[in-house]
Amino acid sequence: MTGHDPGPLIRLFGLTGGRARPQGEAFDLVAIVTTVSVATERADLMLEHLTVLSLCRKPCPVADVAAHLKLPLNITRVILGDLRREGLVTIDRPRPVAQTIDERIYREVLNGLRRL
Amino acid sequence: MGYAASESGSTEVASALAIKILIAGGFGVGKTTMVGTISEIRPLHTEELLSERGIGVDDTSGVESKTTTTVALDFGRITIREGLWLYLFGTPGQDRFWFMWDELSIGALGSVVLADTRRLQDCFAAIDYFEQRGIPFLVAVNCFDGARRHEPATVRRALGLGDATPIVLCDVRDRESVKDVLTTLVMYAVEGVFKASRPA
Repeated sequence: MTGHDPGPLIRLFGLTGGRARPQGEAFDLVAIVTTVSVATERADLMLEHLTVLSLCRKPCPVADVAAHLKLPLNITRVILGDLRREGLVTIDRPRPVAQTIDERIYREVLNGLRRL
Repeated sequence: MGYAASESGSTEVASALAIKILIAGGFGVGKTTMVGTISEIRPLHTEELLSERGIGVDDTSGVESKTTTTVALDFGRITIREGLWLYLFGTPGQDRFWFMWDELSIGALGSVVLADTRRLQDCFAAIDYFEQRGIPFLVAVNCFDGARRHEPATVRRALGLGDATPIVLCDVRDRESVKDVLTTLVMYAVEGVFKASRPA
């Protein structure tokens, strides 16, 4: 798409103070985000922040957070990076497959697929 | 394995795990359909916003002003149990979004390369990509209505693949068929993981 209204983009980068990259350590598309504190009393938080904090009370992967917010991934990441810096969420580190999948999980995945 | 070595304070996050599987292949080969057939949710759609820095030199050359574009990412989810999910990501079809593949493929369990026998060449790039990076993949030949059926052996020869890489015929609209593809991939990928991690 070319020549479309730049308005939405300006609004999006407004959410992140113009930043396109999150602060701190990089995190994966399916890194699990978990809310540490819901922080509803924080007046400086935007609606998007509060939505994330509410959503991630149940651990939730980054991609799902983006889809839920209906925001592009990198905007979502900036928001998540900010929440992490404030200590309101944790985001797990990307790990190689060999470290995350043991035989038990592998069996669970296979059985789960077969059950579908 | 794995969990034991994790850093302090990560116990709660370690109990939730999302596993990535990529669905690659040429434009229009049925990637999004495949995700939709098996996903428990309507494929979710998110976009990655790119500044010109990420786009590289291609059709935007000659455009003087800073350009911004978006690349759509469709993905689906299969919940294995509370806290264990399988995510299927359709990879962006256009070559200029290769850098997105790098990010998608980090930590991925493996990839399905969807092929259409009428234009097998469309999946060469994906095969090269996964071969070079040692990411386990299989080739799933989508049998479109009216498409001439090919024997897996013929496809294997045409793609120059070794005997180890699984090749399966499938119908991306059929749930059982997609299940078969994914089960085959998981078995193949995990075999490799265990082989690599087992001490010699």
